[in-house]
Parts: sequence; C-alpha cells; structure tokens
Amino acid sequence: MAIVQKIVLKNNISEIERLSNVLESFGKENDIPQKTIFSINLALEEMISNVIYYGYKDFEEHLIAVLLSYEDDEINITIEDDGSEFDPTKVSEPNKDIPVEERQIGGLGIHLARTLIDEMKYKRENKKNILMLRKVIPSLC
Amino acid sequence: MEIKENKKDAVLLLELKGRLDASTSPKFQKKILSVIEGGEKNLVIDFSDLDYISSAGLRVLLLGAKKLQSVDGKIVLACLADHVKEVFDIAGFSVIFPFYDATEDAIKSFE
Repeated sequence: MAIVQKIVLKNNISEIERLSNVLESFGKENDIPQKTIFSINLALEEMISNVIYYGYKDFEEHLIAVLLSYEDDEINITIEDDGSEFDPTKVSEPNKDIPVEERQIGGLGIHLARTLIDEMKYKRENKKNILMLRKVIPSLC
Repeated sequence: MEIKENKKDAVLLLELKGRLDASTSPKFQKKILSVIEGGEKNLVIDFSDLDYISSAGLRVLLLGAKKLQSVDGKIVLACLADHVKEVFDIAGFSVIFPFYDATEDAIKSFE
C-alpha cells in the first residue's frame, strides 16, 4: 500500500522552508535515499516558487496542495494550485547556443526540475493547474 | 542559512551554512551586494556546510559574478558536495565559476 502525505502551502515564499522540512522527515521515516529527496525537493521548490511568484494576479492568500505518494520504489507527487493557467511541460529547453550568462534566467528552474525528475505531466481541471511528477528511486548496486 | 565572513588579505571568504533556496537567497543577495559595494573584488565562497542550492541561489551567484566582471573581480567556489555541484552542471553554470576542492587552494588562486 502506498504511503501518502499531504502538505498544504500558502502562496508565501517562506513556505519553501516548511516544504523542505516535511520532505526531509518523509525521507527519513521511509528510508528514502537523501539524493532522491534532494532531487524531489529541488523540483518542488522550482515549480512551487513559480506558482507563488507568477501564478496570482491578486494579493489574496491562496493554497497550494502537494500530495506525496510512495510505493514500489517510486514517488509520485501532485501539485495543485488555483493560479493562472501555466503548463511548464510546454516551456522550451534553454538555448545552448547562447552563453549561459546571457540566457533568460526564467526557464532555469523548470530545466533543473525536468532534469532531476523522471516524468512531468500537466493538466488543467476545474480552473486548477495539476502538475504530476514521478521520481523513480534508483536501486543500489 | 548562516553566512560567516572572513577577510584573508585581498580575498574575502564567505562561508555558507544550511540551505540556499528561494526563502534564504534574499539574505545571501543582500550580503554579496553589500560586500561588492564595499569594494571587495576577490570572493571565495565556501560551500562545505551547504546542503542545498536551487535556481534562486544560482541567480544570486550569477548576479554577483556579473557585478564583479565590470571591476575585474571574480567569485571562486570551494568544497561543493557532489549533489550541489551537479545542480551547477545541469544549469550550465559550471563554465562560469572556478571550483576548488579546498578553501586554501581557492584563496591561493587569487595570488
């Protein structure tokens, strides 16, 4: 049976710290390798900070729900927010022909998240962005 | 995140402890901009006790590197954990900064 944990974050950047604390204990409680937790933490921070910075046009409080599910050496994560429609899977990869110093810094977080995660899927439903991430825990040799 | 500052001749050593993420990077940005404004040109950043970096932290380093470029200064990084170095590699940032495995070597690189 899957081990499930839900985290609800406010659209405030200080929540990133709380997210990392929850992920760290989730990793420790379930013996998930630290490197896997690091990758998940980084991917989640990048995607959630995008929502916090660019997802809302008002100045109201919003909630972002994160659902972690761990089963069969795989962690599946769903991020759900009521911000403006945004599909990160449609963002193009950074242009490698431009020196990194001059590249648009915007796509960097998405590029990091995509590289560290095994699969990213997006859907828009009931005026919500639903982003699904999958991370396979590498088996030890 | 904690930042310790240590002046070694013409080099300023900044030791970072904890996590450099979206919530802590504003503090790091403030520090790095204030030391550059104060005239420091040769910065060594010691990553020995830094467990985590995200694009928010990379942005601050890039900003610092760009500011220093115009005054002939630079940022040199020391003692990165493998998983932290990997973030620089994925971002393509490994070409921007010199990396050293020992803080002393990073400091000596300015001689």
